[in-house]
Amino acid sequence: MTSLNFKSRVPVFDANVRVGDLLDEPAPYRDREGLLSEMDRHGVQRALIYHAHGENVSPIIGNEYLEAWLSDDGRTHPQWMVIPTSDSLVQVQSLHADGRVNSVRLFDTGQRDLPFRPWAYDTLLSWLSEEHIPVWIYLPDADADALITTLQSYPSLVSVLVGAHYVHALWLRPMLAALPNAHLELSRYEPICEIESLRDEFGAERLVYGSWYSRYAMGAMLFYLHHTNLTEAELALVCAGNLERILEGGTK
Amino acid sequence: MIDGTQVIDYHGHVGRWDPLGMKDDPKLMLHAMDSAGIDRSCVFNIFHPDGTTGNDETARFVARHPDRFIGFAYVSPMMPERMVPELTRAIDELKFPAIKLYPPYTLWPFNQPQWFPIYQFADERGLAVLFHTDGDELNRPRYLSEIAPQYPNAKFIAGHSGNVVEPRAEAIAAAQAHPNVYLETCSTYRTPGVIEQLVNEAGADRVLFGSDTPLMDPRPQIGKIITADISDEAKRLVLGDNARRLLGI
Repeated sequence: MTSLNFKSRVPVFDANVRVGDLLDEPAPYRDREGLLSEMDRHGVQRALIYHAHGENVSPIIGNEYLEAWLSDDGRTHPQWMVIPTSDSLVQVQSLHADGRVNSVRLFDTGQRDLPFRPWAYDTLLSWLSEEHIPVWIYLPDADADALITTLQSYPSLVSVLVGAHYVHALWLRPMLAALPNAHLELSRYEPICEIESLRDEFGAERLVYGSWYSRYAMGAMLFYLHHTNLTEAELALVCAGNLERILEGGTK
Repeated sequence: MIDGTQVIDYHGHVGRWDPLGMKDDPKLMLHAMDSAGIDRSCVFNIFHPDGTTGNDETARFVARHPDRFIGFAYVSPMMPERMVPELTRAIDELKFPAIKLYPPYTLWPFNQPQWFPIYQFADERGLAVLFHTDGDELNRPRYLSEIAPQYPNAKFIAGHSGNVVEPRAEAIAAAQAHPNVYLETCSTYRTPGVIEQLVNEAGADRVLFGSDTPLMDPRPQIGKIITADISDEAKRLVLGDNARRLLGI
Protein backbone atom coordinates (compact mmCIF):
# COMPACT_ATOMS: atom_id res chain seq x y z
CA MET A 1 0.00 0.00 0.00
CA THR A 2 1.47 3.30 -1.08
CA SER A 3 1.06 6.45 0.95
CA LEU A 4 2.00 10.07 0.37
CA ASN A 5 4.55 9.66 3.13
CA PHE A 6 7.23 7.02 3.54
CA LYS A 7 9.62 5.68 6.10
CA SER A 8 11.42 2.36 6.02
CA ARG A 9 9.65 -0.47 7.83
CA VAL A 10 12.84 -2.54 8.22
CA PRO A 11 16.19 -1.61 9.75
CA VAL A 12 18.40 0.14 7.21
CA PHE A 13 22.18 0.24 6.94
CA ASP A 14 22.96 2.40 3.90
CA ALA A 15 26.00 1.00 2.05
CA ASN A 16 26.88 4.10 0.09
CA VAL A 17 26.86 7.58 1.62
CA ARG A 18 29.22 10.39 0.67
CA VAL A 19 30.03 13.11 3.18
CA GLY A 20 31.69 16.46 2.59
CA ASP A 21 31.94 18.61 -0.51
CA LEU A 22 33.12 17.69 -3.97
CA LEU A 23 35.27 20.32 -5.69
CA ASP A 24 32.37 21.52 -7.77
CA GLU A 25 29.43 20.28 -5.75
CA PRO A 26 28.85 21.36 -2.15
CA ALA A 27 26.99 18.79 -0.08
CA PRO A 28 23.42 19.65 0.95
CA TYR A 29 24.41 19.35 4.62
CA ARG A 30 27.36 20.78 6.48
CA ASP A 31 27.92 18.38 9.34
CA ARG A 32 27.14 15.05 10.89
CA GLU A 33 23.95 16.33 12.47
CA GLY A 34 22.68 17.31 9.05
CA LEU A 35 23.37 13.83 7.73
CA LEU A 36 21.69 12.17 10.70
CA SER A 37 18.65 14.38 10.24
CA GLU A 38 18.28 13.24 6.64
CA MET A 39 18.76 9.61 7.68
CA ASP A 40 16.06 10.00 10.34
CA ARG A 41 13.65 11.47 7.81
CA HIS A 42 13.75 8.22 5.81
CA GLY A 43 14.09 5.76 8.68
CA VAL A 44 17.77 4.97 8.11
CA GLN A 45 19.60 3.92 11.26
CA ARG A 46 23.18 3.44 10.02
CA ALA A 47 25.31 4.51 7.09
CA LEU A 48 28.65 3.46 5.68
CA ILE A 49 30.30 6.76 4.83
CA TYR A 50 33.28 7.94 2.81
CA HIS A 51 34.57 11.44 2.25
CA ALA A 52 34.04 13.30 -1.02
CA HIS A 53 37.58 14.66 -0.94
CA GLY A 54 38.82 11.12 -1.44
CA GLU A 55 36.71 10.70 -4.52
CA ASN A 56 38.33 13.31 -6.75
CA VAL A 57 41.35 14.76 -4.91
CA SER A 58 43.15 12.71 -2.28
CA PRO A 59 42.02 9.47 -0.66
CA ILE A 60 44.61 10.01 2.08
CA ILE A 61 43.37 13.48 3.06
CA GLY A 62 39.77 12.42 2.52
CA ASN A 63 40.26 9.66 5.07
CA GLU A 64 41.60 12.21 7.52
CA TYR A 65 38.56 14.43 6.96
CA LEU A 66 36.29 11.43 7.50
CA GLU A 67 37.25 11.27 11.17
CA ALA A 68 35.09 14.33 11.92
CA TRP A 69 32.00 12.46 10.73
CA LEU A 70 32.45 9.49 13.04
CA SER A 71 31.11 8.94 16.54
CA ASP A 72 30.67 6.22 19.09
CA ASP A 73 26.91 6.23 18.61
CA GLY A 74 27.13 3.55 15.93
CA ARG A 75 25.25 5.45 13.26
CA THR A 76 28.11 6.32 10.90
CA HIS A 77 30.66 3.67 9.96
CA PRO A 78 33.88 4.58 8.15
CA GLN A 79 34.73 3.41 4.71
CA TRP A 80 38.32 4.31 3.95
CA MET A 81 39.33 5.16 0.44
CA VAL A 82 42.46 3.72 -1.08
CA ILE A 83 44.50 4.27 -4.22
CA PRO A 84 47.27 1.90 -5.37
CA THR A 85 50.18 3.92 -4.02
CA SER A 86 52.49 3.04 -1.17
CA ASP A 87 51.41 6.10 0.88
CA SER A 88 47.76 5.14 0.64
CA LEU A 89 48.43 1.51 1.46
CA VAL A 90 50.49 2.48 4.50
CA GLN A 91 47.64 4.66 5.77
CA VAL A 92 45.01 1.96 5.40
CA GLN A 93 47.27 -0.72 6.83
CA SER A 94 47.85 1.49 9.86
CA LEU A 95 44.12 1.93 10.32
CA HIS A 96 43.73 -1.82 9.93
CA ALA A 97 46.33 -2.44 12.61
CA ASP A 98 44.17 -0.33 14.90
CA GLY A 99 41.18 -2.53 14.12
CA ARG A 100 39.33 0.21 12.21
CA VAL A 101 39.04 -1.22 8.71
CA ASN A 102 35.95 -3.23 7.78
CA SER A 103 35.91 -2.20 4.13
CA VAL A 104 37.69 0.03 1.64
CA ARG A 105 36.60 1.92 -1.43
CA LEU A 106 38.84 2.14 -4.46
CA PHE A 107 39.68 5.51 -5.91
CA ASP A 108 38.72 5.34 -9.58
CA THR A 109 42.18 5.42 -11.15
CA GLY A 110 40.62 5.05 -14.58
CA GLN A 111 40.07 8.81 -14.47
CA ARG A 112 43.89 9.09 -14.50
CA ASP A 113 44.40 6.37 -17.11
CA LEU A 114 45.59 3.69 -14.70
CA PRO A 115 43.57 0.61 -15.62
CA PHE A 116 42.17 -1.83 -13.09
CA ARG A 117 44.65 -4.57 -13.94
CA PRO A 118 46.74 -6.86 -11.70
CA TRP A 119 50.00 -5.23 -12.78
CA ALA A 120 48.73 -1.98 -11.23
CA TYR A 121 46.68 -3.35 -8.34
CA ASP A 122 48.27 -6.63 -7.25
CA THR A 123 49.89 -5.39 -4.05
CA LEU A 124 46.68 -3.79 -2.85
CA LEU A 125 44.29 -6.54 -3.93
CA SER A 126 46.52 -9.29 -2.57
CA TRP A 127 46.63 -7.59 0.81
CA LEU A 128 42.84 -7.05 0.87
CA SER A 129 42.33 -10.72 0.00
CA GLU A 130 44.71 -11.91 2.71
CA GLU A 131 43.04 -9.71 5.32
CA HIS A 132 39.49 -10.53 4.15
CA ILE A 133 38.68 -6.87 3.65
CA PRO A 134 35.79 -6.27 1.24
CA VAL A 135 36.27 -3.64 -1.44
CA TRP A 136 33.80 -1.20 -3.02
CA ILE A 137 34.48 -0.54 -6.72
CA TYR A 138 32.94 2.09 -8.99
CA LEU A 139 31.08 0.87 -12.05
CA PRO A 140 30.14 4.12 -13.82
CA ASP A 141 33.31 4.41 -15.92
CA ALA A 142 34.66 0.91 -15.40
CA ASP A 143 36.12 -1.25 -18.13
CA ALA A 144 34.10 -4.45 -17.96
CA ASP A 145 36.88 -6.74 -19.15
CA ALA A 146 39.46 -5.28 -16.77
CA LEU A 147 37.05 -5.44 -13.85
CA ILE A 148 35.96 -9.01 -14.36
CA THR A 149 39.29 -10.57 -15.31
CA THR A 150 41.13 -8.79 -12.51
CA LEU A 151 38.64 -9.74 -9.81
CA GLN A 152 38.69 -13.32 -11.08
CA SER A 153 42.40 -13.32 -10.25
CA TYR A 154 41.52 -12.75 -6.57
CA PRO A 155 38.74 -15.29 -6.06
CA SER A 156 38.46 -14.85 -2.31
CA LEU A 157 38.13 -11.08 -2.49
CA VAL A 158 34.63 -9.88 -1.64
CA SER A 159 33.49 -6.88 -3.66
CA VAL A 160 30.56 -4.49 -3.81
CA LEU A 161 30.07 -2.95 -7.24
CA VAL A 162 28.79 0.59 -6.92
CA GLY A 163 26.63 2.64 -9.25
CA ALA A 164 25.31 0.20 -11.84
CA HIS A 165 23.09 2.02 -14.32
CA TYR A 166 20.94 1.08 -17.27
CA VAL A 167 23.96 1.72 -19.49
CA HIS A 168 25.42 -1.41 -17.88
CA ALA A 169 22.39 -3.51 -18.73
CA LEU A 170 24.29 -5.73 -21.16
CA TRP A 171 27.03 -6.73 -18.76
CA LEU A 172 25.37 -6.91 -15.34
CA ARG A 173 24.32 -10.54 -15.61
CA PRO A 174 27.53 -11.93 -17.10
CA MET A 175 29.45 -9.95 -14.50
CA LEU A 176 27.50 -11.29 -11.54
CA ALA A 177 27.73 -14.81 -12.97
CA ALA A 178 31.49 -14.49 -13.44
CA LEU A 179 32.13 -13.02 -9.99
CA PRO A 180 30.44 -15.11 -7.30
CA ASN A 181 31.88 -12.94 -4.52
CA ALA A 182 30.59 -9.70 -6.05
CA HIS A 183 27.54 -7.86 -4.77
CA LEU A 184 25.56 -5.21 -6.54
CA GLU A 185 24.94 -1.86 -4.85
CA LEU A 186 21.60 -0.53 -6.08
CA SER A 187 21.66 3.26 -5.82
CA ARG A 188 21.10 3.97 -9.48
CA TYR A 189 20.08 0.68 -11.05
CA GLU A 190 16.64 1.44 -12.49
CA PRO A 191 15.79 -0.79 -15.48
CA ILE A 192 12.22 -1.91 -15.07
CA CYS A 193 11.64 -4.69 -12.53
CA GLU A 194 15.33 -5.55 -12.59
CA ILE A 195 15.80 -5.70 -8.84
CA GLU A 196 13.15 -8.41 -8.62
CA SER A 197 14.61 -10.13 -11.66
CA LEU A 198 18.16 -10.10 -10.27
CA ARG A 199 16.79 -11.42 -6.97
CA ASP A 200 15.19 -14.32 -8.85
CA GLU A 201 18.36 -15.04 -10.80
CA PHE A 202 21.15 -14.43 -8.30
CA GLY A 203 19.45 -14.28 -4.90
CA ALA A 204 18.74 -11.37 -2.58
CA GLU A 205 22.08 -12.06 -0.89
CA ARG A 206 23.88 -10.46 -3.84
CA LEU A 207 22.02 -7.12 -3.60
CA VAL A 208 22.93 -4.23 -1.29
CA TYR A 209 20.94 -1.08 -0.69
CA GLY A 210 22.88 2.14 -1.03
CA SER A 211 21.48 5.60 -1.59
CA TRP A 212 24.70 7.25 -2.78
CA TYR A 213 23.49 10.28 -0.89
CA SER A 214 24.45 13.11 -1.44
CA ARG A 215 24.99 12.34 -5.11
CA TYR A 216 21.37 11.19 -5.13
CA ALA A 217 18.39 11.89 -2.92
CA MET A 218 18.35 9.44 -0.04
CA GLY A 219 14.82 8.08 -0.06
CA ALA A 220 13.97 7.16 -3.65
CA MET A 221 15.61 3.74 -3.92
CA LEU A 222 14.57 2.83 -0.41
CA PHE A 223 10.97 3.59 -1.37
CA TYR A 224 11.45 1.42 -4.47
CA LEU A 225 12.72 -1.55 -2.47
CA HIS A 226 9.69 -1.31 -0.19
CA HIS A 227 7.37 -1.51 -3.21
CA THR A 228 8.72 -4.67 -4.81
CA ASN A 229 7.68 -8.28 -4.29
CA LEU A 230 10.75 -8.97 -2.19
CA THR A 231 9.75 -10.88 0.91
CA GLU A 232 10.21 -9.16 4.24
CA ALA A 233 13.22 -11.37 4.88
CA GLU A 234 14.74 -10.46 1.51
CA LEU A 235 14.02 -6.78 2.10
CA ALA A 236 15.78 -6.96 5.44
CA LEU A 237 18.80 -8.59 3.83
CA VAL A 238 19.05 -6.01 1.05
CA CYS A 239 18.52 -3.05 3.37
CA ALA A 240 20.95 -4.11 6.10
CA GLY A 241 21.67 -7.81 6.55
CA ASN A 242 23.87 -8.30 3.53
CA LEU A 243 26.00 -5.29 4.37
CA GLU A 244 26.39 -6.42 7.97
CA ARG A 245 27.55 -9.83 6.74
CA ILE A 246 29.98 -8.34 4.23
CA LEU A 247 31.54 -6.01 6.79
CA GLU A 248 31.96 -8.90 9.20
CA GLY A 249 34.04 -10.66 6.57
CA GLY A 250 31.42 -13.18 5.60
CA THR A 251 30.62 -14.26 2.09
CA LYS A 252 27.12 -14.91 0.84
CA MET B 1 -4.26 5.58 -6.40
CA ILE B 2 -2.30 7.03 -3.51
CA ASP B 3 -4.26 8.34 -0.54
CA GLY B 4 -7.20 9.17 -2.80
CA THR B 5 -5.14 10.81 -5.55
CA GLN B 6 -5.22 9.32 -9.03
CA VAL B 7 -1.57 9.02 -10.06
CA ILE B 8 -0.52 9.68 -13.65
CA ASP B 9 2.98 9.06 -14.96
CA TYR B 10 3.48 11.69 -17.66
CA HIS B 11 6.59 10.20 -19.35
CA GLY B 12 6.83 6.67 -20.73
CA HIS B 13 7.89 4.81 -23.83
CA VAL B 14 6.66 2.18 -26.24
CA GLY B 15 9.31 0.10 -27.97
CA ARG B 16 12.41 -1.87 -27.07
CA TRP B 17 15.91 -0.52 -26.54
CA ASP B 18 17.68 -3.75 -25.73
CA PRO B 19 21.23 -2.45 -25.20
CA LEU B 20 19.88 -0.39 -22.29
CA GLY B 21 17.54 -3.07 -20.99
CA MET B 22 14.38 -1.22 -22.03
CA LYS B 23 11.47 -3.46 -22.94
CA ASP B 24 7.86 -2.38 -23.23
CA ASP B 25 6.44 -5.51 -21.66
CA PRO B 26 3.03 -4.47 -20.29
CA LYS B 27 3.22 -7.17 -17.64
CA LEU B 28 6.39 -5.63 -16.19
CA MET B 29 5.14 -2.08 -16.59
CA LEU B 30 1.82 -2.86 -14.89
CA HIS B 31 3.56 -4.72 -12.07
CA ALA B 32 5.72 -1.69 -11.37
CA MET B 33 2.75 0.67 -11.62
CA ASP B 34 0.55 -1.45 -9.38
CA SER B 35 3.30 -1.86 -6.80
CA ALA B 36 3.60 1.91 -6.40
CA GLY B 37 -0.01 3.05 -6.84
CA ILE B 38 0.37 4.48 -10.35
CA ASP B 39 -3.00 4.47 -12.12
CA ARG B 40 -2.07 5.47 -15.66
CA SER B 41 1.07 6.02 -17.70
CA CYS B 42 1.47 8.24 -20.75
CA VAL B 43 3.46 6.47 -23.46
CA PHE B 44 4.87 7.27 -26.89
CA ASN B 45 7.17 5.77 -29.49
CA ILE B 46 10.04 8.04 -30.58
CA PHE B 47 11.92 5.57 -32.77
CA HIS B 48 10.35 6.32 -36.16
CA PRO B 49 10.78 9.69 -37.90
CA ASP B 50 7.68 9.11 -40.02
CA GLY B 51 5.56 9.31 -36.88
CA THR B 52 3.02 6.90 -38.29
CA THR B 53 4.90 3.67 -37.57
CA GLY B 54 5.51 4.53 -33.95
CA ASN B 55 2.09 6.05 -33.36
CA ASP B 56 0.43 2.91 -34.65
CA GLU B 57 2.60 0.84 -32.32
CA THR B 58 1.62 3.12 -29.46
CA ALA B 59 -2.07 2.77 -30.35
CA ARG B 60 -1.81 -1.04 -30.38
CA PHE B 61 0.02 -0.96 -27.06
CA VAL B 62 -2.58 1.29 -25.43
CA ALA B 63 -5.46 -0.79 -26.84
CA ARG B 64 -4.35 -3.76 -24.75
CA HIS B 65 -4.88 -1.79 -21.52
CA PRO B 66 -6.81 1.36 -22.40
CA ASP B 67 -7.66 2.05 -18.78
CA ARG B 68 -3.96 2.11 -17.80
CA PHE B 69 -2.07 3.72 -20.68
CA ILE B 70 -2.50 7.01 -22.56
CA GLY B 71 -0.87 7.40 -25.97
CA PHE B 72 0.91 10.58 -27.06
CA ALA B 73 1.54 11.47 -30.71
CA TYR B 74 5.09 11.64 -32.04
CA VAL B 75 6.26 13.41 -35.20
CA SER B 76 9.62 14.67 -36.41
CA PRO B 77 10.80 17.56 -38.58
CA MET B 78 13.10 15.05 -40.24
CA MET B 79 10.04 14.29 -42.37
CA PRO B 80 8.38 17.71 -42.41
CA GLU B 81 5.68 16.95 -44.95
CA ARG B 82 4.26 14.30 -42.63
CA MET B 83 4.13 16.32 -39.43
CA VAL B 84 0.74 18.00 -39.53
CA PRO B 85 -1.10 15.23 -41.41
CA GLU B 86 0.22 12.65 -38.96
CA LEU B 87 -0.61 14.81 -35.96
CA THR B 88 -4.12 15.25 -37.32
CA ARG B 89 -4.48 11.48 -37.72
CA ALA B 90 -3.00 10.69 -34.30
CA ILE B 91 -5.17 13.19 -32.46
CA ASP B 92 -8.42 12.73 -34.40
CA GLU B 93 -8.32 9.02 -35.25
CA LEU B 94 -6.03 7.45 -32.64
CA LYS B 95 -7.48 9.79 -29.99
CA PHE B 96 -4.11 10.72 -28.50
CA PRO B 97 -4.54 13.73 -26.20
CA ALA B 98 -1.01 15.17 -26.34
CA ILE B 99 2.26 15.35 -28.28
CA LYS B 100 5.80 14.19 -27.52
CA LEU B 101 8.83 15.66 -29.32
CA TYR B 102 12.42 14.44 -29.21
CA PRO B 103 14.94 16.94 -30.59
CA PRO B 104 17.98 14.62 -30.14
CA TYR B 105 16.72 12.59 -33.10
CA THR B 106 16.64 15.67 -35.33
CA LEU B 107 19.10 18.25 -36.65
CA TRP B 108 17.51 21.38 -35.23
CA PRO B 109 17.19 23.02 -31.82
CA PHE B 110 13.51 23.13 -30.99
CA ASN B 111 13.34 26.92 -31.25
CA GLN B 112 13.99 26.70 -35.00
CA PRO B 113 11.30 27.19 -37.69
CA GLN B 114 11.37 23.52 -38.68
CA TRP B 115 9.35 22.85 -35.52
CA PHE B 116 6.84 25.68 -35.77
CA PRO B 117 4.07 23.84 -37.66
CA ILE B 118 3.82 21.46 -34.71
CA TYR B 119 3.46 24.32 -32.26
CA GLN B 120 0.87 25.98 -34.48
CA PHE B 121 -1.11 22.73 -34.54
CA ALA B 122 -0.90 22.40 -30.76
CA ASP B 123 -1.90 26.02 -30.30
CA GLU B 124 -4.96 25.65 -32.51
CA ARG B 125 -6.04 22.51 -30.63
CA GLY B 126 -4.98 23.62 -27.13
CA LEU B 127 -2.72 20.57 -26.80
CA ALA B 128 0.16 19.82 -24.46
CA VAL B 129 3.61 19.21 -25.96
CA LEU B 130 6.21 17.27 -23.98
CA PHE B 131 9.86 17.88 -24.99
CA HIS B 132 12.98 16.02 -24.10
CA THR B 133 15.16 18.73 -22.54
CA ASP B 134 18.69 18.74 -21.20
CA GLY B 135 21.96 20.65 -21.53
CA ASP B 136 22.58 19.80 -25.18
CA GLU B 137 22.14 22.68 -27.61
CA LEU B 138 19.35 20.86 -29.43
CA ASN B 139 17.34 20.52 -26.24
CA ARG B 140 17.84 23.59 -24.08
CA PRO B 141 14.86 24.48 -21.90
CA ARG B 142 15.51 28.16 -22.50
CA TYR B 143 13.90 27.74 -25.93
CA LEU B 144 10.60 27.36 -24.09
CA SER B 145 10.85 31.01 -23.13
CA GLU B 146 10.91 31.87 -26.82
CA ILE B 147 8.13 29.63 -28.11
CA ALA B 148 5.67 29.57 -25.20
CA PRO B 149 4.47 33.19 -25.59
CA GLN B 150 4.10 32.72 -29.35
CA TYR B 151 1.63 29.87 -28.89
CA PRO B 152 -0.34 30.79 -25.77
CA ASN B 153 -3.07 28.18 -26.21
CA ALA B 154 -0.57 25.31 -26.27
CA LYS B 155 1.04 23.91 -23.12
CA PHE B 156 4.75 23.15 -23.17
CA ILE B 157 6.36 20.65 -20.81
CA ALA B 158 10.10 20.44 -20.16
CA GLY B 159 10.81 16.72 -19.93
CA HIS B 160 13.41 15.88 -17.27
CA SER B 161 13.14 19.54 -16.23
CA GLY B 162 16.46 20.04 -17.97
CA ASN B 163 18.15 17.25 -15.97
CA VAL B 164 21.06 19.16 -14.42
CA VAL B 165 21.75 22.51 -12.78
CA GLU B 166 21.99 25.03 -15.60
CA PRO B 167 19.28 23.69 -17.90
CA ARG B 168 17.10 23.11 -14.85
CA ALA B 169 17.41 26.81 -14.04
CA GLU B 170 16.35 27.59 -17.60
CA ALA B 171 13.31 25.34 -17.27
CA ILE B 172 12.29 26.97 -14.00
CA ALA B 173 12.77 30.44 -15.46
CA ALA B 174 10.56 29.54 -18.41
CA ALA B 175 7.83 28.26 -16.09
CA GLN B 176 8.06 31.39 -13.95
CA ALA B 177 7.76 33.65 -16.97
CA HIS B 178 5.08 31.82 -18.93
CA PRO B 179 1.88 30.28 -17.58
CA ASN B 180 1.81 27.60 -20.29
CA VAL B 181 5.16 26.04 -19.35
CA TYR B 182 5.32 22.99 -17.08
CA LEU B 183 8.13 20.88 -15.65
CA GLU B 184 8.28 17.08 -15.72
CA THR B 185 10.40 15.23 -13.19
CA CYS B 186 11.93 12.03 -14.57
CA SER B 187 15.70 11.91 -14.55
CA THR B 188 18.48 9.45 -14.00
CA TYR B 189 20.00 12.25 -11.92
CA ARG B 190 18.06 12.02 -8.67
CA THR B 191 19.86 14.99 -7.18
CA PRO B 192 18.86 15.90 -3.61
CA GLY B 193 16.53 18.86 -3.35
CA VAL B 194 15.48 19.01 -7.00
CA ILE B 195 11.82 18.19 -6.47
CA GLU B 196 11.72 20.73 -3.66
CA GLN B 197 13.35 23.32 -5.94
CA LEU B 198 10.90 22.73 -8.78
CA VAL B 199 7.90 23.00 -6.47
CA ASN B 200 9.17 25.98 -4.52
CA GLU B 201 10.40 28.00 -7.49
CA ALA B 202 7.94 27.12 -10.25
CA GLY B 203 4.93 26.22 -8.11
CA ALA B 204 3.43 22.83 -7.31
CA ASP B 205 0.71 23.41 -9.90
CA ARG B 206 3.37 23.44 -12.65
CA VAL B 207 5.22 20.21 -11.90
CA LEU B 208 4.34 16.79 -13.35
CA PHE B 209 5.49 13.38 -12.17
CA GLY B 210 7.15 11.36 -14.93
CA SER B 211 9.33 8.26 -14.84
CA ASP B 212 10.68 7.35 -18.31
CA THR B 213 9.14 3.90 -17.90
CA PRO B 214 10.18 1.30 -19.03
CA LEU B 215 13.69 2.68 -19.60
CA MET B 216 13.57 3.35 -15.90
CA ASP B 217 11.38 1.65 -13.34
CA PRO B 218 8.74 4.13 -12.21
CA ARG B 219 9.13 3.20 -8.55
CA PRO B 220 12.34 5.10 -7.72
CA GLN B 221 11.04 7.98 -9.83
CA ILE B 222 7.79 8.24 -7.89
CA GLY B 223 9.81 7.57 -4.76
CA LYS B 224 11.66 10.83 -5.18
CA ILE B 225 8.32 12.66 -5.17
CA ILE B 226 6.96 10.78 -2.16
CA THR B 227 10.18 11.25 -0.16
CA ALA B 228 10.67 14.90 -1.11
CA ASP B 229 10.32 17.50 1.62
CA ILE B 230 7.15 19.07 0.19
CA SER B 231 3.58 19.22 1.44
CA ASP B 232 1.03 16.49 0.83
CA GLU B 233 -1.00 19.00 -1.17
CA ALA B 234 1.98 19.60 -3.45
CA LYS B 235 2.51 15.85 -3.85
CA ARG B 236 -1.10 15.39 -4.94
CA LEU B 237 -0.73 18.07 -7.60
CA VAL B 238 2.57 16.68 -8.89
CA LEU B 239 1.52 13.04 -8.85
CA GLY B 240 -1.69 13.41 -10.76
CA ASP B 241 -3.91 16.45 -10.36
CA ASN B 242 -1.84 18.61 -12.72
CA ALA B 243 -1.67 15.89 -15.37
CA ARG B 244 -5.41 15.27 -15.23
CA ARG B 245 -5.97 18.98 -15.73
CA LEU B 246 -3.55 19.15 -18.68
CA LEU B 247 -4.97 16.08 -20.36
CA GLY B 248 -8.59 16.90 -19.63
CA ILE B 249 -9.32 13.63 -17.90
